Amino acid sequence: MNAPTNNNKAHEKSKASEIPRVSIVDDDESVREAIKSLLRSVGLRANVFASAEEFLKSGALKDTACLILDVRMRGMSGLDLQARLAAAHHKIPIIFMTAHVSDKEARTRALQAGAVDFLYKPFNEEILLKHVYAALI
Amino acid sequence: MSEPDTPRSSGMAAVARYALAVACVTVALTVTALLLPNSFFTPLFFLAIIISAWFGGMGPGLLAALLSTLSIAYFFITPLYTFNFKPAHIPQLLVFFISAALVSSWSTVRRRSETLLRRARDEQETKIQERTADLKQANEQLQAEIAERRRVEETLRQRADLLDLTHDTIFARDMNHVITYWNRGAEELYGWKRAEAVGRVSHELTQTIFPVPLEEINETLCRTGRWEGELVHTKRDGSKVVVASRWSLQRDQQGAALAILETNNDITERKLAEQELHKTQAELAHIARVTTMGELTSSIAHEVNQPLAAIVTNGNACLRWLSNDPPNVEEARQTVTRMVKDGHRASEVVGRIRAFFRKTVPQRVQVDINQLVEDVIAMVPSELQRNRVQLQTELTDDLPPVVGDPIQLQQVLVNLVINAIEAMGNVSGRRELVIKSGLYEPGSVLVSVEDSGVGFDEQNAAQLFNAFYTTKLQGLGMGLSISRTTIESYGGRLWATTNNGAGATFQFTLPTSN
Repeated sequence: MNAPTNNNKAHEKSKASEIPRVSIVDDDESVREAIKSLLRSVGLRANVFASAEEFLKSGALKDTACLILDVRMRGMSGLDLQARLAAAHHKIPIIFMTAHVSDKEARTRALQAGAVDFLYKPFNEEILLKHVYAALI
Repeated sequence: MSEPDTPRSSGMAAVARYALAVACVTVALTVTALLLPNSFFTPLFFLAIIISAWFGGMGPGLLAALLSTLSIAYFFITPLYTFNFKPAHIPQLLVFFISAALVSSWSTVRRRSETLLRRARDEQETKIQERTADLKQANEQLQAEIAERRRVEETLRQRADLLDLTHDTIFARDMNHVITYWNRGAEELYGWKRAEAVGRVSHELTQTIFPVPLEEINETLCRTGRWEGELVHTKRDGSKVVVASRWSLQRDQQGAALAILETNNDITERKLAEQELHKTQAELAHIARVTTMGELTSSIAHEVNQPLAAIVTNGNACLRWLSNDPPNVEEARQTVTRMVKDGHRASEVVGRIRAFFRKTVPQRVQVDINQLVEDVIAMVPSELQRNRVQLQTELTDDLPPVVGDPIQLQQVLVNLVINAIEAMGNVSGRRELVIKSGLYEPGSVLVSVEDSGVGFDEQNAAQLFNAFYTTKLQGLGMGLSISRTTIESYGGRLWATTNNGAGATFQFTLPTSN
């Protein structure tokens, strides 16, 4: 695992814990690695998962303070995972993202179910970081 | 007398000849004694001698001469009725006898030469007659032969006239391809008259373009006696003509190749129409591809947005790594490396779409059918996800390649896959798409696309492939029609069946390249 140590922009809470509290679930390797690098560049640490199933199996759920989640994936979708977490009363802030240009229905469902935001790829990194910081406070 | 001129022929004939001499002299004596006594008594005796010598020959002639001399001496020289004539009459009688003998002799000689002459003439006559008969016979044979030849020539001419009646171009050439016959059809098609064409090397005259090397054609011709194919010829006016050509080999009784009969049909118009049709089909296919791409828009956006998102995020991360104090160059380098990779990935997506959109003349190249399936799957991940379709592939390894245009074949498969996904759009149960590849029969590969969708009514099965038949709100209803045309143009078949469980299976075969 990566250990950001010299980042002066890092949030105080991230310094307090060695355990990554951001989880990224996306079936596109390029995207999840890019987001991970972005978070690390600001002193945050993140776990990456290629599918919702992999995330659930990993046991990272209990330490996750913020979930960056792709909407459409093979197997369990982002919305399925959101529903499942809600059913299990896990109130983790979820930031959705999608590469599909017209996913209005999914956006509505995600936001109604309590998602922090629903971002279209490619997204503005400042908005993403703002949501992540907010979730980690 | 049949043989008067052969005095020594037989004893009986000799007696008769001498009797003739005696009779002639007796008649001469009697007539002279009765009519001309004491006066002019010798002429009748000369006549008797001439007749005897003429018809009897030398012996009877001389006998007649002797008898005449004795008769004159006895009957007409005084003293009458005795042989006691005066010595003064001896010269007279002697002259008479000698004259008589000479007359007899000349008459005989004359008679003999005349006989010889006649015989020679007769022999000649016979020979001439024989020769004339020979000539006549030869002449008759000749006439018969001429008549036979005329009949054969007439038959040949009638046959050649028949060959002139046909619209087909027919010409014959020897084994060195020198033209020996050129029918009217050939004159009309190519523009050279028979007299101009005969004697020329056919492939030089018409500048033949062969579909395969001439050696190969000759090999087939010698082995099977026949060859068929399409040739391009140049006419006298310089214009090109495409012909469907049939060659037949003529052999002699020993089996040696003698001549080649070439029958050609002008199919230039048909080829042009075919080209025109192909062009129209290609244009239609292009329109259908554009339509298909319209249906794939969200997939395209997804495919491009993923690498773009990665690039933008990496770019931002890079800026932040560099603005750290101190800048983390190594991390920045890694983000840029990933950006380059994703840039290429986006470019590949665009390239694939461009290839699919491109309006090109269909090629005929070897296509790996499994690669084709993989390429198509890469185009529709978004469609699969959005419709929550589980994709399974069962591809048979090491399939022989097929021949076709990769883009056109992609289009067919994209069509079938999109149809399958859409057929499952309103299904509440499992949504399963199975793409299989395998050998259908020797020399033929099968691709099947199986869905668990709504299927189709067997009654509509025939309509499925009709142009403009559609059950969708959007779409032209051209997809399956064009797909079938495409597959059939490469010698394959495309058909649909309903599954035992749910859904339908669309499948096509394509002949392998060898």
